[in-house]
Amino acid sequence: MTSSGRPLPVPDPLSAPFWEAAARHVLTLSRCSDCGTLTHPPDVVCDACGSTDPRFTATPVDGRGAVRSWTVVRQSFLPGFADLVPFVLVDVQLVDPALAGQPDVRLVGRLLDGVDAPLAAGAAVRVAFEQLSPDLAVPAFELAAS
Amino acid sequence: MSGRFRARDQVAIVGYAQSPVTRHADRSLGALTVETARAAIADAGLTPEQVDGFVTATLFPTSGAHAVVDGVSVVSADWLAARLNPNPRYAAGFSGLGQIPGSMALAVNAVAGGAAEHVLVHRALYNPAGSYHDTGAAEFRGGLQWTAPQGFFGPLAMMGMTYTEYVQRYGASREALAEVVVEARKNGARLPWSHWSGRPLSVEQYLAEPMLADPIGRLDCDIPVDGAAAFVLTTAERARDLPHRPVHVSGYATGAPPRRRLPAHWPLDDLMAAGATTAERLWASAGMGLDDIDLVQVYDGFSPLVYLWLEALGRCPVGEAHRYVRDGGIDSDRPGADPVLLSGGSLGNGRMHGVPQLLECYLQVSGRAGDRQRPGVTTALSCHSSPHLGGALVYSAQPGAGV
Ligand SMILES: [Zn+2]
Repeated sequence: MTSSGRPLPVPDPLSAPFWEAAARHVLTLSRCSDCGTLTHPPDVVCDACGSTDPRFTATPVDGRGAVRSWTVVRQSFLPGFADLVPFVLVDVQLVDPALAGQPDVRLVGRLLDGVDAPLAAGAAVRVAFEQLSPDLAVPAFELAAS
Repeated sequence: MSGRFRARDQVAIVGYAQSPVTRHADRSLGALTVETARAAIADAGLTPEQVDGFVTATLFPTSGAHAVVDGVSVVSADWLAARLNPNPRYAAGFSGLGQIPGSMALAVNAVAGGAAEHVLVHRALYNPAGSYHDTGAAEFRGGLQWTAPQGFFGPLAMMGMTYTEYVQRYGASREALAEVVVEARKNGARLPWSHWSGRPLSVEQYLAEPMLADPIGRLDCDIPVDGAAAFVLTTAERARDLPHRPVHVSGYATGAPPRRRLPAHWPLDDLMAAGATTAERLWASAGMGLDDIDLVQVYDGFSPLVYLWLEALGRCPVGEAHRYVRDGGIDSDRPGADPVLLSGGSLGNGRMHGVPQLLECYLQVSGRAGDRQRPGVTTALSCHSSPHLGGALVYSAQPGAGV
């Protein structure tokens, strides 16, 4: 547990590169070494080409996205969030040019602008990071000028 | 390759039992389930030694840190068999969501294939003391590392995001969703076993409840309960000699496999695409279309799922179910309407996870619904869970060819 009191991710061999980059506030997606498709999160078999040895590389993306959906969480079941409710979660489709023609990549995180921020389907956002401990940050989002 | 189910109408439901559905039962879940199973076997005109197959799905659908203990918080097929017939020919469990279509398919296939002659399908649901979904976990591994530390956790936020998409696209109002919940509670209030027995809900009461994960309010999700239900299946041939009018399983389908997503991330498009697949597979399996079905019962563990199933099955065009409901389309007291929540559903019974829909189809097709019996129901359809993780079944009063 951290000073934030929020739960932490536990990196594993597949996820460690993502969390290492996130600690530097860089958003990465996993690129399959066999077919080049970007995905998130990485899995043991590539969804796109079926490779059983995808040798994913953590590839930085610019973190721009479009809001597909959202909810206002008024009761959290997690430790460390009681003082944060109500908060907004956004379902974001990343729009990095590197993703053109690929299956959609979606992230879900907090919208740091608060519950009164104007929100609509398609709203432009960019990634932000919440520092949960000195060496660990998790992605969140902020509204961006479109 | 046709999608026809070769065992179509060759296996029948021949008996059932439903326990009282309560917030906390006065005995253990295991004891409640044994009693319910014994009652179902007796209802079918059988004895426990004759039941040679046991099937269930044990999912305990909590995101909280509750222990899974067989006989206490879940009841497995093996656990129940050991107490009813310790020498069964077949015992199996379905894992995953869509527990009713999943376990019914295992049971139907076991009977049709001759792996067992009389199969008991049960479902036992447990409500632990304390908060159902709360967790104190300081760390998350595996899939949840990608969501929980960011604050995305549990089924309320999941459905909140799915339903926001629906509201944004189609303009569904809170008043329309109120009609779903009020209809479920109205029908549930008429059931003697229901947690909500004798307690209907008004639109005003619904609207006065707080939001939990906008636009999902407190009454849009079913309430956790203790309860058990059991059904006995056998061959259509054997069913002719048993006391009740058999209800044959004509076919079943799911939309599986779902697209890989973050845990609890249910984009509306994923649900609707799989729903269309489910319906297509179901009609091929059962050899019927929606127009051939006398009674449809839809799943409602979260109220918006009623809309999504109505649209997936083709009862209304995509995006129109909220208007269909708002116009009285599912009102069980309105002549000519389509009473898809006649079972009371999960919202009108308690969190029985798809049991009410199966039970209502059985009761109506077998002519055993008592005061609630509707005339001329010879075919029925139940759907369960979400369109992308659950499934559906079709039933018929008529046995299949050659029986
Ligand atoms: Zn690949």
